[in-house]
Amino acid sequence: MEEIGGTIKIEGWENVQINIGRIGEEEEEWEPMGPYPMPKMADLRNWDYKLLNRYKPFYAPLCDVCALCTYGKCDLSGNKYGACGIRMDAMQGRIVLLACLVGASAHMAHGRHMIHDLEHRWGVDIPFDLGTEINVPAPLTQLITGIKPKKIRDFLPVLDYIEENIVQLADALHTGQEGSYMDFESKALQMGMLDSLGKEVADMVQIAYYDMPHGESNQPFFEVGMGSIDTKKPTVIVIGHNAPPTFDIVEYLTEKGLEDEVEIGGICCTAIDVTRKYQKAKIVSALGRQLRVIRAGFADVIVIDEQCIRADILKQAKVVGSPVICTNDKAMHGLVDRTGDDQDEIIDDLVEGRVPGVVILDPFQVGKVAVEVARKMHPKRAKKEYILSDEAFKEYLESCTMCGSCTFACPQGLRIGGANKKALEGDLEPLIMMFDQCVGCGRCEQVCKKHIPIVDVMVKAARPVIEKEKGKMRAGRGPVRDTEIRQVGAPLVLGTIPGIIAPIGCGNYPNGTKDVYTIVDEFASRGYIVTLTGCMAIDCGFYLDDEGKSVYERYPDDFDKGCVLNIGSCVSNAHIHGAAIKVASIFARRNIRANYDEIADYIINRVGACGVAWGAMSQKAASIATGFNRLGVPAVVGPHGVKYRRAFLGRRDLPERWKVYDTRNGEELYCEPCPEHLLVAAETIEECLPLMAKLCFRVADTSPGRMIKLTHYIDLSMKYLKVMPPDWHLYVRSETDLPLAKKEYYLQLLEEEQDWKIDWKKKKIVSGPVKGVDPSFNPTLLERLLPEKR
Amino acid sequence: MGCDSCGGSCSPQNYLSFDAGNTHGPESGRLAAPETIGRLIKSAKRPLLIVGSEILEDDGMLDRAIAIGKKGIPIAATGPAIRGFVEREYDGEVYYYQLHELTNCILDPEWKGLDGQGNYDVVVFFGIIYYYASAMLSAIKNFGTDPLIRGVSIDKYYHPHARMTFGNYSPKRQAEYLEMLDKLITVL
Repeated sequence: MEEIGGTIKIEGWENVQINIGRIGEEEEEWEPMGPYPMPKMADLRNWDYKLLNRYKPFYAPLCDVCALCTYGKCDLSGNKYGACGIRMDAMQGRIVLLACLVGASAHMAHGRHMIHDLEHRWGVDIPFDLGTEINVPAPLTQLITGIKPKKIRDFLPVLDYIEENIVQLADALHTGQEGSYMDFESKALQMGMLDSLGKEVADMVQIAYYDMPHGESNQPFFEVGMGSIDTKKPTVIVIGHNAPPTFDIVEYLTEKGLEDEVEIGGICCTAIDVTRKYQKAKIVSALGRQLRVIRAGFADVIVIDEQCIRADILKQAKVVGSPVICTNDKAMHGLVDRTGDDQDEIIDDLVEGRVPGVVILDPFQVGKVAVEVARKMHPKRAKKEYILSDEAFKEYLESCTMCGSCTFACPQGLRIGGANKKALEGDLEPLIMMFDQCVGCGRCEQVCKKHIPIVDVMVKAARPVIEKEKGKMRAGRGPVRDTEIRQVGAPLVLGTIPGIIAPIGCGNYPNGTKDVYTIVDEFASRGYIVTLTGCMAIDCGFYLDDEGKSVYERYPDDFDKGCVLNIGSCVSNAHIHGAAIKVASIFARRNIRANYDEIADYIINRVGACGVAWGAMSQKAASIATGFNRLGVPAVVGPHGVKYRRAFLGRRDLPERWKVYDTRNGEELYCEPCPEHLLVAAETIEECLPLMAKLCFRVADTSPGRMIKLTHYIDLSMKYLKVMPPDWHLYVRSETDLPLAKKEYYLQLLEEEQDWKIDWKKKKIVSGPVKGVDPSFNPTLLERLLPEKR
Repeated sequence: MGCDSCGGSCSPQNYLSFDAGNTHGPESGRLAAPETIGRLIKSAKRPLLIVGSEILEDDGMLDRAIAIGKKGIPIAATGPAIRGFVEREYDGEVYYYQLHELTNCILDPEWKGLDGQGNYDVVVFFGIIYYYASAMLSAIKNFGTDPLIRGVSIDKYYHPHARMTFGNYSPKRQAEYLEMLDKLITVL
């Protein structure tokens, strides 16, 4: 037994005060403690520099000035120094760190907030037990902190650790601190790691408190899409990421037997989390359609919690007469705090329109208010039509002068005026297409000189599509089970399962939601494991095949070859990091406890995984991707992702960047460039698909594995780009790596185009490859793992 | 701001960033006439035309890209743009390259180029998604300084991060835009 904290003060017998801090329980010695328990910002810097020297940060500034202090504005164009001495490249690293700070804070604070909200009802001694199939319950927590949690209480020091580090890292942003872009990026990688840890805590906390699925497969289905809402029923629309208030709504509905009378429809991650337990709730849309869902008038009441809520929610809700209930102190929108007030009075005030909304900060006071307001508002609101009439639609179209102001305001550059003109001529198709391509920001409406409510015009045009938009999604299953890792560990590391594809994040897609479906279907049908979280998990559920089935209905949700898993909300994507860590722990029997760099080194060299944030928009997406990157998992973002300003790009033409040690003898070898990048933006979906396949190559692939990966890389490139990839030969180490069906053809190409020597009698490569195949090659980037250093 | 792209008849919209919020800093892209940009390309020691996905969408743009290529300018086709050249069986110097990768290479003075002969001094953006091109032009403007690499746009958008750029051309001015491209090609 170890006493962790506590003091005793005695000031005379009549005034005895005893303060007892946390009494520690005897901790299970589950693994020897590794070198980096709770690493501070400089502890993993050597690992970061390994990555940053291979994947040099590439910067594309959005703005040439710095205006963060009163020295400025400073002109940094041409990589100049500002008045404080910071140069443009370091300033970009600083902005990236800031984005990751905001993102990591959101995930971490979400977890802390839930504990604050729920501990007074259920305490913090709720056991954290994921069942008999999971013995590595919190891989990131175990890897980063060395703690193997058994109760929610065990996460408290983890949160303390994250919070202190976030503050220290935030301090580095101040004027007159860090001046090196490489060190800003090392700090951003630290922040990304903290982000991944914060996500794991947040998801584990809600899994424990709400008894959400513990990683079981074959999760139940529920409905998704704007057409899934029965508009004849009172409807509560929930928006955000922090589910306890919505669980209170579910509890109230259940207690009162109103489950079939009142609809709960959600936007974004709160909806994903609630459907992990309550499948009568529906997900109306992902984040990208928030404004259009509001304007479509579904909501008899809108309940918001935190993150990804429109900042003008009150204004937009007012347009369609929907009262707003704010349930989180991070988003109160100027409304009066009515926490603790008589609930009937609050309901009355909202229904009578005396206030546009209220703040209720106790999640356990939200359920009754939300449901009863919806029930009372529904008959009042049902009398009104919120979608434009045919006459109003025509009038607005006629008033459009095609001045182009909306196009200049549109992040997508959509030619709305042209679509309006076509609609006036009777062709609604361009406007319907734009309904999907639109990212739902509403900037167009502000600049329209004719005051056309452009979002409403699009909703009107797309109404027939909206009414039919109904798919099925599986409930988020949470972690990957250890038993699944035992099944897939070998094929993943050997490469015969070609990779894990992890679509994550927001809905700022370059060309509509269908690209998400294409990514999922393309890779699942090729035998990759596709693990979805967040908005991309929602958006691919809308699309149905010829038999009317969504990808969730077509593919099983095991963590196995050719499966499609809804892991859960944004915070649940920690389980994807977790799966990669578990491969190292369970399959390779590496010690993971406080051993971050060794496990990241294992993953970057062996586990073929690639994230894709095709619509990455938020700061959370920045910190998520950066967290993946530090763990050795590359990510592809859509073209809007260039606005994050930074990429981590490898250079396949510089062999010295691709040296890897062989752990067996310490020899340093030139290897093929894989994974070639850690963070890269694809221009279109056609480019994204082969690029992702390429980023699943790993230096430790066996020949059968490399053959499969190469087959998909070449095939996807030929299918979508109509060319052989220019770098395919770099991934050929021996004739045994070549796809069997066209082996001779590829040998011929290698001879003719790359001047490789081929022994045609034996059909063998004589010379050419960067490195041959060695089945027992044991790659590492870490000197400390070499024989003489051990 | 000087404007010689249309003889002074352009509207203010012509030299506003195509994405209104994409403001930049002290240096703004110079609106230039097609002949001026053409002369810059012609005088370059190592010019490169970078074409993107939008050349597949608009009638006439792929034709112009090929016409520029036939003047001896090597082409880097990014995204799915390469499909257009394959389908047209273009036999000139065209390479598929990913735009992020390519821009990163361009910023390295030691880069050997697509043909192994060295880096480029004038890179011309054409048919690339506006905001992606804008970011890459910004990277070139801010970090392609020693030796100087000139990032130029011949897209139908005003690009504030380009050294030289056309203005904004709406679809109804497509013919006018193509005419400008033809004038540029004539100079090469």
